[in-house]
Amino acid sequence: MIRFVLRRVLAAIPIGLVVTLGVFALVFAMPGDPLRELAGDKPIPAAVLAAKRAQFHLDDPFIVQYLLSMKDILTGHFGTTFAGADIADQLRLRIPVTLKLASMSLVFQWIFGLLFGLYAGFRRNGVVDRMLLLATLVVLAVPGLVLYFTGQYLFGVELKWLPVSGVRDGWPTAYLLPALCIGISGFAGLARLTRTSIVDTTGSDFVKTARAKGLGEQRILWRHVLPNALLPVVTLMGIDLAGIFAGAVLAESIFNLPGLGQFMFQAIKLKEGGVVVLLSTLAFLMFILINLIVDVVYGAIDPRVRNV
Amino acid sequence: MALGLALVLASCGDGKSSSGGGSGGKSEIIAIAADPLDYINPLNDNGTAGIGVSMAIFAPLVTTDPDTGKLQNVMADSVTPDKNSQTWTIKLKAGNTFQNGQPLTAKDYVDSWNMTAEGSNGWKNNGFFSKVEGYDALNPPTPDGATPKPTAVKTMSGLKLIDNLTFSVKLKVPFSQFGLTLQYLGLAPLPEEVRKNPDAYKRKPIGNGPYKLDGAWNAGDDLKLAKWDGYKGPQIPEADHITYRFIPNADTAYNEFLAGNVDFTDVPSTKVKSFKTDAPDQWVTSVSSGANYLVIPAWDARFKNPKLRYAISEAIDRKAFADLVGLAEPAKGLVAPDMQGYRADACKTCDFDAGKAKQLLQEAGGFPGVLNINYNTTSATGQIFAEAIGNMLRQNLGLKVKYTGKQGSEITELADSHKLDGLRFSGWGHDYPSIEDYLTPMFKSNGDANFAHYSNPALDAVLAKGDAEPDPDKAIKLYQQAEDIALTDMPLIPLYTKSNAYLHSDKIQPRVSKYTGVSAIWSTFK
Repeated sequence: MIRFVLRRVLAAIPIGLVVTLGVFALVFAMPGDPLRELAGDKPIPAAVLAAKRAQFHLDDPFIVQYLLSMKDILTGHFGTTFAGADIADQLRLRIPVTLKLASMSLVFQWIFGLLFGLYAGFRRNGVVDRMLLLATLVVLAVPGLVLYFTGQYLFGVELKWLPVSGVRDGWPTAYLLPALCIGISGFAGLARLTRTSIVDTTGSDFVKTARAKGLGEQRILWRHVLPNALLPVVTLMGIDLAGIFAGAVLAESIFNLPGLGQFMFQAIKLKEGGVVVLLSTLAFLMFILINLIVDVVYGAIDPRVRNV
Repeated sequence: MALGLALVLASCGDGKSSSGGGSGGKSEIIAIAADPLDYINPLNDNGTAGIGVSMAIFAPLVTTDPDTGKLQNVMADSVTPDKNSQTWTIKLKAGNTFQNGQPLTAKDYVDSWNMTAEGSNGWKNNGFFSKVEGYDALNPPTPDGATPKPTAVKTMSGLKLIDNLTFSVKLKVPFSQFGLTLQYLGLAPLPEEVRKNPDAYKRKPIGNGPYKLDGAWNAGDDLKLAKWDGYKGPQIPEADHITYRFIPNADTAYNEFLAGNVDFTDVPSTKVKSFKTDAPDQWVTSVSSGANYLVIPAWDARFKNPKLRYAISEAIDRKAFADLVGLAEPAKGLVAPDMQGYRADACKTCDFDAGKAKQLLQEAGGFPGVLNINYNTTSATGQIFAEAIGNMLRQNLGLKVKYTGKQGSEITELADSHKLDGLRFSGWGHDYPSIEDYLTPMFKSNGDANFAHYSNPALDAVLAKGDAEPDPDKAIKLYQQAEDIALTDMPLIPLYTKSNAYLHSDKIQPRVSKYTGVSAIWSTFK
C-alpha cells in the first residue's frame, strides 16, 4: 500500500506542472489589462501603470512570469494581489471558510444522496422511488443561482431562521444555508447513481446465486450487494469533491462567504495569473489527496483492487 | 426528516448573535457592495468604496456645503489664488490634530502630496498632481517594461512651505477651478509616522476626520469606526459608531437590508423596478452626478461626417431608453444636471426624430457596412442596453447592426490603440463639482477620459481661457462655449443621466442634498 501511495504521489508532480502551466497559459491568454480593470473607468497615470506593471512583472515574457509565480508558491513568498491584499493573509482567512463550507455541503450531499438512493434502490417503483425521480429532475433543472437566491430569500429574509449572508454567526450557523443549497443542488446525481447501482447489483447473477445457496437477506445485503453497488458510488463521491469547489464559487458570492471560490473569481476577473495558479495548485493537491483516499477506500471495499 | 430539518434550522435562528456597531449611543451599519478593502490610504485609492470610507476617517481641506452648494472650509482657513489663478496659497486652521495627537501642519500636506506625486511609488492619485509645477521631474518617462526608478528629486518645485500652517501650490498653467478640486479626499494628509512606512499602517489608518478606527481591523472583518472628538470641522455627523459591511454581491446586500441587518445600502441595477414596493418609505433618491453616453471612435473614417453622428443621435428615443435603464432621465447635454452651469437643452440634435434622422443619414451618404456596438460583459445590463440602441438604429435608420461583448478593460485597451470597431458605452462622474471636470477630461485633446480620442484646438483654446478666468460666472460662460463646440462635433452622443436610489432603515434618515447627493455618514437619527 505504501508503495502504491508513493507511486501516485510521484506521478502527480509532472501532472501538477502541466496543469499549473496550462492554467497559467489560459489566464495569460485572457483578453484585457488587469490594472485597467482594477481602475475601472478612472484614468491611471502612465507612471503609476509602469510602477505596477514592474511590481507584478507584467511585462516579462509568459514563461518568466510563470516561473516567478512557481518560485513564489514554492518558497511561500506569496506577496500581494494587484489590489494590494496580502495573499498569505487571504489564504489564512479563506481556507478554513471553504473547508467548512465544502465539508458541510458534502455531508448534506452524501446523506441525501445515499439515503434516498439506497432506499429507492431497495424499494424500487415505490412512492419514495417515484418522488425521488421527480425531485432529482427538478433539482437538475433549476439553475444554482435561482436555488441559492430563493433559499436566501426564504430562510434569511422572510423566515429569518438563518443568516442572510456572511460568516459573523460562525460555524455551523453561518454555513448551514449555503451548504444545504450546495448539497441539494448536488445530491441528484449521487442519488440516481446509487439507486441504479443497487438495482443492477440486486438483479445480478451472483446475488441470485447467493440467494439460491440459502444465505440470509442481511448477509446478502452487507456482504454481497453493498460492496459491489458502492464501488461506482465511491468514485462519484471523489469526483463530487472537486465539483463542490465549483459550486462554492457561486455560493460564496451569493452568501458573501470569504472563501477560496470568491478569491478565485476575483483573481480570474483581474487576470491575476499568480493567484489563479496558486489556488489551482491548492485545488490540484486536494484532488490528488482525495483520489488517493478514494483508491484506498476502494481497496478496503473490494479486495480485488488492493494490489493493482 | 423534513420536520427534523426544520427543527435544526429553527434552533439555529435562536442563537443568532446580535449585529450591532458597538453598544450604546447612535450606531449604524452601512453595507458597501464592493470587495472588502485591502487597505485605507486615500492617496492611493480612487475607488468608490475606498474614498467613501475615507470620507469618514479623513477630512478634506474644503467641502461643498450640502445646503447652499457653496465651498466651505474644513481644514483650510483660507484658499487664495493669485490674480491669474496660477499660484494658490492655502492657510490651515490652527489647532487641528491627527488621531494620534500630532498637530496637523502644512508640512503634512506638502510631504504627503510629494510622496503621492512620485511616480515610482505607484500611488493611484498620482495623476492629480500633474497640474503642479515640478510634477514631471518626479515622473520621468519610463521605457515599457522597465521599473520606474526613484528619482533624485523628491519634491515638486511648485509646492512651497511658507510657515507652519501655510503652503502654496504653483500650477504649470492658470487653473481657476483649483480651489474646487481641494475637496477631493485623495488629497488627504498622512501623519509623519504613516509617511515613514505606509505599508505598516495600511490597516491602521490615522486620519483627521470625524471617525477613527474602533479596535483592530483584520482581513475579512467588518470595518468598525467610532466618533473621534478631535474633529472640529463643520458638519459633525450624528452617529457615534459606524460599521461598514462589505458585501460584494449587490443583490445580497439588498437582501441583508430587507432582513433588517443593515441600515443603509445602494439599490442595485437589478432592483430599480422593485425597490419602492420592497421597502416602502425606506428609500431616497438623488440625481447622480454623472453623464452616460455613446462614444464615437474618432479614428474610424466611417463616422467622420457630423451629419451621420446627428443622424444616430436623433434616431435614439432617449425617453424609451431612459425608461429601460430605470430611474433615469434623457440627457440633452454633456454635463451632469447638478453642476453649476448645466443647461437642460444644450444639445440641439438630441431630440428623437426618426424622419429627420433618416434625412441626415442620406445627406451624410449613408453608413457603409455593419455598425458594431460594443458592450461590457461584466455589466449585467450591458447587452440589454446595446440591443436597445441597436434596435432603434436598425428600425429608424435601416442600418445593419451587430453586437460585441467584451471585458471593459479590453474595450478600453482596443480604443487606446485605435483598434476598437464601432460604438461603445461610457460614462463619467466628476471628481470635483465643476462643469470643467466634465469638459477637460472628456473633450480636451489627450484628456484623461477622452474615450473618443477627440481633438479640436478651438475647444482646447476655450477651455484654457476658462481655466485662466478668475471670475466664476465668466469662467462658466467660457466652459459652456466649450460644451457647444463639443456638441457640434459630437464625439459623444448624450444618452441619459441616472438617479441613484438608496435604502435606509427606520432608525436613520440619510442626508439628501441636490449638491452633494445622498450621504449615510451624515444621517440624522430618529
